[in-house]
Amino acid sequence: MKELPEILKTLYDAQIDFVVIGGAAMYLQGSAYVTQDVDFCYARTPQNIKRLTTALKPHHPVLRGAPAGLPFTFDARTVAQGMNFTLTSDLGDLDFLGEVAGLGGYDDVKAAADILVIDGMQIRVLSLIGLIKSKKAAGRPKDLYVLPELEALELVKRKTGAK
Amino acid sequence: MTPEQRKLAYELITNPPPGSAIAAAKEWGVDLTLLYANLLRTPTERAQSFAAMARSFDILRAGEKKTALG
Repeated sequence: MKELPEILKTLYDAQIDFVVIGGAAMYLQGSAYVTQDVDFCYARTPQNIKRLTTALKPHHPVLRGAPAGLPFTFDARTVAQGMNFTLTSDLGDLDFLGEVAGLGGYDDVKAAADILVIDGMQIRVLSLIGLIKSKKAAGRPKDLYVLPELEALELVKRKTGAK
Repeated sequence: MTPEQRKLAYELITNPPPGSAIAAAKEWGVDLTLLYANLLRTPTERAQSFAAMARSFDILRAGEKKTALG
């Protein structure tokens, strides 16, 4: 996997509307939880889809776990016809979701995000409240498992005002 | 974090208020000192640390493949 700031820069420089969600958002918010992929919620406007597919094309995205030889092109048409994409690329394992459980589409996720300054870039990262809401809604054992940590972290940050 | 924020965070982590979410997390088995250590970092430092952790996964995964291949 490339450096997370490098991945973010690829999307940021391409002016893509995205929010960091999932395990990477948890870690950026202060959690000790580590995952090996990076999840994003992306705006499903034609312009944003075009920007996203154009920015990722040089990094050779393919569907993660798909059978070898399965025809797949991460282009605007494919993304417009789908919703959620789990990809392997030269940047690492990247997941792009059009919707997040418990929150909704990009505009709802954006409204639940904090802006964190990472390497000088203003990056939208799902807030702890948003993460807690989405984990509760997803309801899988792996989501519920991290709730005590997220709720503790949210309280520490709220009490201290830490970023 | 400012020194005051750091001090308050340390107090909350080392002596969680009874009945609080912090106390519940401690009981659940969460290592609160890891949260404290990560909170001391800036978001940029966390992003860099995240990548280092992910690279460790890559190394472990490569090792698993080698082992599987014998």
